[in-house]
Amino acid sequence: MRVWPGALAMALLPVLALIAGQFLPAYPLRILDMILLYAILGLGLNIIVGYAGLLDLGYVAFYAIGAYSWALLASGQFDIHLPFALVLLIGASLAGLAGILLGIPVLRLRGDYLAIVTLGFGEIIRVLMNNLDGVTNGPQGIARIDEAHLFGWTLSTPHDFLYLLVAMLVVVFLFVWRIQESALGTALSAVREDQDAARGCGIDTTRVKLVAFAFSAFVGGGCGVVFAAMQRFVSPESFTFWESLIIVLVIVIGGLGNPFGALLGATLLILIPELLRAYADYRLLLYGMALVIIILARPRGIISRPFGPTWLMRRLGGGKC
Amino acid sequence: MLTFDHVTKQFGALKAIDDVSFAVKPGIITAVIGPNGAGKSTLVNMAAGSYGVSSGRILVDGVELQRLPKHRIAHAGLARTYQNIRLFDAMSVVKNLEVALVPPRIGRLVADTFGLTPRAAAEERRARCHAVLDRLGLGPYAERQAGSLAYGQQKLVELARAVVAGPRVLLLDEPAAGLNHGETEQLKQHILALRAPDLAMVLIEHDMKLIMSISDTIVVMERGRVLAQGTAAEIRANIEVQEAYLGQPGAIKDIEAAARGRRNRVRIREGEGLTWHQP
Repeated sequence: MRVWPGALAMALLPVLALIAGQFLPAYPLRILDMILLYAILGLGLNIIVGYAGLLDLGYVAFYAIGAYSWALLASGQFDIHLPFALVLLIGASLAGLAGILLGIPVLRLRGDYLAIVTLGFGEIIRVLMNNLDGVTNGPQGIARIDEAHLFGWTLSTPHDFLYLLVAMLVVVFLFVWRIQESALGTALSAVREDQDAARGCGIDTTRVKLVAFAFSAFVGGGCGVVFAAMQRFVSPESFTFWESLIIVLVIVIGGLGNPFGALLGATLLILIPELLRAYADYRLLLYGMALVIIILARPRGIISRPFGPTWLMRRLGGGKC
Repeated sequence: MLTFDHVTKQFGALKAIDDVSFAVKPGIITAVIGPNGAGKSTLVNMAAGSYGVSSGRILVDGVELQRLPKHRIAHAGLARTYQNIRLFDAMSVVKNLEVALVPPRIGRLVADTFGLTPRAAAEERRARCHAVLDRLGLGPYAERQAGSLAYGQQKLVELARAVVAGPRVLLLDEPAAGLNHGETEQLKQHILALRAPDLAMVLIEHDMKLIMSISDTIVVMERGRVLAQGTAAEIRANIEVQEAYLGQPGAIKDIEAAARGRRNRVRIREGEGLTWHQP
């Protein structure tokens, strides 16, 4: 029996979301939205970190590019009011383009060196947003952002965004899973395992990594657009190095190179600080301790097997895939 | 056909390869032998694009390799195995082979990701991998993680990965190193079975028994130069070669003494040539 396990597992999620959407009040719904958003970001970053094995510490830059796309193209800032679907495409594409432009010079680097350069890139974008006063209002940020409409459907409450985010999660999940199963995924894994041997096998490692960077950035940009539409306010403060770190943690905690890991990691990373809100004074301390304990207990991530869907289906007694 | 045309490789003041010219013909097995430091591995690494060429040309069927990037060299039809196994450890055995069949065009790769290429192409690639694995007796291990296999099997997987794309030139860098007697015998049968009219095979080995039994022609190198070339019988008869390499005790001692004189430390393990260690 052949099943498409990813699709099957993902089919359950909209159902769960629908149920949750009916019963949950606004505050927990907002948290659920954030979990989904970070899960999507984690899935996007996973392409570059999990599959290609390249540590990107500046992923938030692509997120910021997406967010500012919506903030500038659908607000009173320049009195431009483009439709949400179009800006979603523009923001993601701009981020993807930025990924390629960044990738061309830096993808010769590996390991720590690449991590430092991408970290720098993340800071450059933030500092740029902070100082382009005429365009971005600098540190004050951009308010007066439009309400998003998607094909006649108004996105304003956490409830609305829940559906949008679930839909996006499913799409991105399938996309990432396709990458993993396709020849590109094979090439990326080879690059991660042994770049020189991969080249010896005929893999154009530079281009393959560039494609991975672009795909990854594209997803990040899309998330940024949704984030801006959700908050209806953006400022450089939302795009600090801390955010990049959280996204990296999402996939490290959840399990690298594993789509389900991102979901689990996002749940923990967003939920733990929310649950600790009552202990405001010790919140960060406890949060840090929780992360350290998770890493000590599961150094390779909570779902450490790299081929999540297949593994899950085998566990559930499903067919071969 | 693989051709070395007046190839020289300079590492600083050291001429590792000194004006080497020879051709490796398709359909036969050509062994390259010589003591450690003779330049055998350097030659392989230059052909495969790991090292640059100081001067001269290296050609596969008339295509010059020396200026091509590594992946283009692979596309030109040159495949290799490594002295130290370099598999993609975390990937399954069959995935390791699929890496060698990844479509070279990036547009094709992207289209494949979005499911825009025919499924049949991917299945055909997979089938080809399985066929090669079956031929080398690795069929049962296809879904195993490559890094989890025994050393001898890993060596075979590397061989399978090198041949799956149907190369014109196959470079085997010490395929028998570290294998036991039975495994070496098995390897020998596999290498002989791979012999094909349009495949030029280069074998770098220290196991003289293996070399003498499967090589059609032997190139002897010493200190970066080709010392002699001929059939196994001819080489065996060549006194000069014997002195340089084939284990006349006196000859080895001379080299050892010379090496000590250059303040190098020399170690000889059984079944291997000389291993040089910088002090």
